[in-house]
Amino acid sequence: MALPLPPGLTPPEIAFLCEMELVTVIPRQRLEGLELLGGRLPPLNPPHRTPLPLWLALLLKRQRRANILPPPWLSPHSLSAILEYETKNEEGFSPTPRLPPLPSNNSIMFSPPFLPSSTAEAAPDALPYHWLELGEMLLEAAADDFEDSDNVRKLLQGLREVRMSKLRKGVELLDAEGGIKMNGVGGMEVGEARAFVGGVIDGLRKIVASREQQRRDREKEERENGYPSTADYDEDEMEMQ
Amino acid sequence: MDIVDILAEVDADSIPKETRDLQELTRAWVAERVAPELLPYPDSLIERVLERIRKQIELVEEQTGNMDPRTNFKLIIIQTELERFKFLVRSFLRARIKKIDAHPLHISNLHSLSPLLSTSEYQYLTQHQALLSQHYASSFLSQFPAGLQRLDDTTGGTSMIDKPDEDTAVFVRALRDVGVINVEGTDRSFEVKRGDVRVVRWSAVRRSVLAGDLELI
Repeated sequence: MALPLPPGLTPPEIAFLCEMELVTVIPRQRLEGLELLGGRLPPLNPPHRTPLPLWLALLLKRQRRANILPPPWLSPHSLSAILEYETKNEEGFSPTPRLPPLPSNNSIMFSPPFLPSSTAEAAPDALPYHWLELGEMLLEAAADDFEDSDNVRKLLQGLREVRMSKLRKGVELLDAEGGIKMNGVGGMEVGEARAFVGGVIDGLRKIVASREQQRRDREKEERENGYPSTADYDEDEMEMQ
Repeated sequence: MDIVDILAEVDADSIPKETRDLQELTRAWVAERVAPELLPYPDSLIERVLERIRKQIELVEEQTGNMDPRTNFKLIIIQTELERFKFLVRSFLRARIKKIDAHPLHISNLHSLSPLLSTSEYQYLTQHQALLSQHYASSFLSQFPAGLQRLDDTTGGTSMIDKPDEDTAVFVRALRDVGVINVEGTDRSFEVKRGDVRVVRWSAVRRSVLAGDLELI
């Protein structure tokens, strides 16, 4: 009954997440709107472009009921530009898509896979969080909807290799304290790196654990004695924001 | 703020409740799969989702007899989505049961301080523990000296109550600007801005994750 998997997401689970991304579909058949659990599905009227979640787009594609319009960043032109950026800039990944404005009220924040970063209107110059999974899935199921699928495949492979080597090199920066910034990392890359990166940080931490414990005890004592300590200051600041 | 931003904002507010709940459920699932410790049970969210799943199953049952190919295809879509939702809920609950099984006494203590479990999870935990301790008592514990029969002894410097390693490193993404995060016991502190992805100790970000400012990935 209990889940037998270790913490972290498995690759099929990451693909499952990616299947919630919206993609743009050109329907070949009419379909009435449907009330689904995740919200209303817009009616499909050929040849009007409609944004649909990837799982549904793939289902329609397999049954030849629709074509999928690959997102602008998944074109040879954009991918080669991003690949060039990734190769030239050794530090960090290429920038992520622009975030939507903060909602004015206190409503919930959307994040990938629920940001429209892979529809036909998405930014052409940035890799979204699920770039690798989405690219692979589209190439597998809808290669004929690409203008130059072989080239796209080659560029994706190139990007993957450049970024993987960055990820491996980044391991040298890991330390016991953690907090390393990994902006732009992709979903599948997190899944691949989690066990190793987490393991290194946790292992290093256990080595210095006794020293940290001493320091924690000392700080606690200082707090109880009424002396100010840096940790206190930071906590206050956090609460104010 | 330009026109695109304004349009996007209008869009965001018109997003239906169902889609918001899917985002919340997905986030809760990922968080529970990734976090080293059990997170509070999202009561009303799960209740809403289960109610919708129940209604959708009813709809499928009503329409299964219909042989019209058009309706049939609609049913395929509805059922595919239904299975996806059921997977999410099931995997979420199973991930929680795994944690409950791993650290039952610790979680039971926490739950008595502030609610963490759903009613049925609490029932499961207490009954499972009752069965276990009865079994231990009848098979060997009763033959021990009275002072050594407890399963939750915390005296003598070592606690018998196992708990998860709260300093485990986790991947987080900032949903809002969080400000400075300080890693307790070290000199490390850093500012976290919206959109940042970091690998941090769970103990240092727990509060921000529970407040919804950071999400686990």
